[in-house]
Amino acid sequence: MAAPFTEVEVADEPPLPTGVPVARIQGRSPWYLAALRMRRNKVALAFGVLFVAIVLLCLCAPLWADHVAHTTPDANHITDTIDVGGKQVDIVAPDGTPIGPGLRGQYLLGADQNGRDVMVRLLYGGRTSIFIGVTAAAITTVVAVIIGMLCGYYRGWIDAILSRVMDVVWAFPVLLLGIALGTALAVGGLSLGFTTLAGDSVWIPILIIGLVYVPYMARPIRGEVLALSQKEFVEAALAQGKGPLRIMVTELLPNVVSTIIVFFTLNIANNMLLESALSFLGAGVRPPSASWGTMIADGYQTIYTAPHLTIVPGLMIVLTVLSLNVFGDGLRDALDPRAKIRLEH
Amino acid sequence: MQTGNFPAKIYSGCANVAYSCVLNSASPPTFWSKMNKLRKLTVIGCVAALATFGVAACGGDSDDSSSSSASGGGGGDINVTMSSFPDYVDPQLSYTVEGWETLYNVYTPLLTYKHAKGEDGTEVVPGLAEAMPTVSPDGKTYKLKLRSNMKYSDGTPIKASDFTYAIQRLFKANSGGSVFYEPIVGAKEYADGSAQTISGIVTDDATGDITITLTEPNGTFESLLGLPFAAPVPPSTPLDKDATNAPPPASGPFKITAVQAPQTMTLERNPEFKTVKDAGASEVADANVDKITITQNKSNTAQVTDIEQNRTDYMSDPPDADRLAEVKSRFGDRFRMENSINTYYFWMNNQQAPFNDIKVRQAINYAIDPEALNRVFGGRLHASQQILPPGMPGYEEFKLYPGPDMAKAKALIAEANPADKNITVWTDDEPDRKRIGEYYHDLLTQLGFNATLKVISGDVYWATIGNQSTPDLDTGFGDWFQDFPHPDDFFRPLLNGASILPTNGNNYSRANYPDLDAKMNELRTKQLTDPGVKEGYAALDKAYMEQAAWAPYGNEEYTTFLSERMDFDKSYRHLLFSQDFTSFAVK
Repeated sequence: MAAPFTEVEVADEPPLPTGVPVARIQGRSPWYLAALRMRRNKVALAFGVLFVAIVLLCLCAPLWADHVAHTTPDANHITDTIDVGGKQVDIVAPDGTPIGPGLRGQYLLGADQNGRDVMVRLLYGGRTSIFIGVTAAAITTVVAVIIGMLCGYYRGWIDAILSRVMDVVWAFPVLLLGIALGTALAVGGLSLGFTTLAGDSVWIPILIIGLVYVPYMARPIRGEVLALSQKEFVEAALAQGKGPLRIMVTELLPNVVSTIIVFFTLNIANNMLLESALSFLGAGVRPPSASWGTMIADGYQTIYTAPHLTIVPGLMIVLTVLSLNVFGDGLRDALDPRAKIRLEH
Repeated sequence: MQTGNFPAKIYSGCANVAYSCVLNSASPPTFWSKMNKLRKLTVIGCVAALATFGVAACGGDSDDSSSSSASGGGGGDINVTMSSFPDYVDPQLSYTVEGWETLYNVYTPLLTYKHAKGEDGTEVVPGLAEAMPTVSPDGKTYKLKLRSNMKYSDGTPIKASDFTYAIQRLFKANSGGSVFYEPIVGAKEYADGSAQTISGIVTDDATGDITITLTEPNGTFESLLGLPFAAPVPPSTPLDKDATNAPPPASGPFKITAVQAPQTMTLERNPEFKTVKDAGASEVADANVDKITITQNKSNTAQVTDIEQNRTDYMSDPPDADRLAEVKSRFGDRFRMENSINTYYFWMNNQQAPFNDIKVRQAINYAIDPEALNRVFGGRLHASQQILPPGMPGYEEFKLYPGPDMAKAKALIAEANPADKNITVWTDDEPDRKRIGEYYHDLLTQLGFNATLKVISGDVYWATIGNQSTPDLDTGFGDWFQDFPHPDDFFRPLLNGASILPTNGNNYSRANYPDLDAKMNELRTKQLTDPGVKEGYAALDKAYMEQAAWAPYGNEEYTTFLSERMDFDKSYRHLLFSQDFTSFAVK
């Protein structure tokens, strides 16, 4: 069947999606065009919806805990029993084996070895993991954009100093750096001058994760700004008497914003993975607080008798990270099809 | 080690079968020549596969039989795994369960602990000394006599002065065990360099006489003489250095023939041990197996699987909770639970709010549910609420705070009404200990405290909580395994006011009760066998619990899990030195 519409040819641009009337595309903003591209990427959209669904589910944690499970994420019920099919069953058997998943409100996904409701911990853990992922990504983005802009625009000694600092951070493997910082800050906490973070504060892993990824985002932004600062529109802005800050905010930032958005999305997924790894290794979220990483760390010792303790949070990490990565890739394709943005480390 | 003829016969039998198959298939030329190429290839392939299979099967048999070849007359090689390698392969320096388990049967002290299971194993008996010491009436002088004509594993004669050298090494090599031997006259002066030798030890190599003088009577001293710390070593051993990589020659039933710390170590039967036995050391058991290869394996579950599949013969650590039920049910004929002398407890800072209030400490004791903690241990915890564990002289069972009684605990907290409800709970990152910390954190939260759980690495946990400058040392996980079978070992380092040290202290509760310290000091000047001494320690136990200085909750059971080829009934766990390697025997 012949294509009903003619594709729009744009110089230096890959072909726009088929099925959009030329009249609707001509004169539209890049954002509108990106939205059109995104709308056609059904797979990316489906995974975006999945991520939103996971977030909403985790936000409902208190409702589930109060009205269905009737417990809190940290409450131990080691010697308690529950009614299963008219029989009272130990939540944790005398040999230490916890109850498994079953179709019931309480302990839907079973219990852990301390008799805590896995479903409740999964939902609360999800809130923690997603909160850390998003907040750390926001910190990374803000710091990386500032550093990238300064280096790319000013160049010279500012670029030399900041880039060398970035190189130093880059030189450390992310996980090792995270473990080193997490372990060092676990006992004494972190004093920031205006406030002090306790060693068990969730802001410790957030800051660690947020800062270790800065070079991975700052360097590509610096590269883009470096190229953009040579363009005619920047020279024109300078000729009009605009100051450096105004040029950076009004001229350069809008031109790198698509890169920033894509990086931000992909960074959330990477942050969640790093949080899980750090928490698994004891350098992230502090027990008894739940995160998907700490849940795997608690559960892997009982992989033979209670595999649900590891599989359930592991599955949630896979689904969330996969949904963010596929959605992020779709977003990248929509916003800047030429870009080869990868958060590599 | 005997390898036997049986495997060789099996091997040749298999080879013959394969050979005859080839002959038979190739012998009838007419039949063979009539076969087409495909069939010939099929036949050759089958013969090759059969031959390969046969050889492989014979190889397997060969391995199995080599391990069972020692049946009947003792001997055999066995493999042992440990989650942690011994800290030192040096009798004066080693101070871990794994180290003492290994060295107990390599180095024999002047006195030693009986090779027996249960409480019999806590009896101090003559080792390299001819008899138990003669103690002067004032309890300060100990006289012993070394047996004659004994040799180390390298053939060097064992001399009385080697005992002095061993004690000197304790101080010069900065051994953790040196503190026990400070009551010897002149030990402190030798340690600080102001004396060339320890004046309180006089030896005569010609006669074998050894005289030890103490600064004051010490009821624990015979027990101390039986520890690996005090085992004589020849002067060829470095005085002030760790000898792990070249351990001193052995005076016990096994000698160390190879060490690759921290991965593997090999023990072999000590041929010179017969000189020790010939000298009359009847209480020191001889080895049953010829060779023990010890390997470190960090994966507990892999160790369990290796024993199940007979690739390893013994694992030093208990199976993890998730494998325990499976091991108990499937391998009941080669697995059993074992007693161990230890106490698990929560320490509470007796000198700092809110635990400086006895009502708060009593409330914690009422609130703890030992059954919950037993399930955290996978059913390996014997509930107890006192400092001395069962099996320790002076142990008399009592329970001052029956529970769990949350109502009573909450009432006591309400009565105490502590102003400071912010508590830091300390524990380390080992799986069961982390779960214990999480249980305790939840308990304190239920009692109305604002508890914060601090989980730190097990490598630095004790040093951190034993350091007075560490902030927020409110309460946390504690355990103690006996160093020697004397109740003083459970009181002095853990509860004596003098044990509150700036660093490396063990009195985590900062307990300081001068009247109880005085009682403890008085008891130490007497022998355990003196009338009223054991009762005195039982009363001391109760007195500390009346102060609720700790919140003890139980004693952990250990396990013995052996491979199929081991003689399960012969092996036993020693109460001080874990598994007694001399009890290992191959069926």
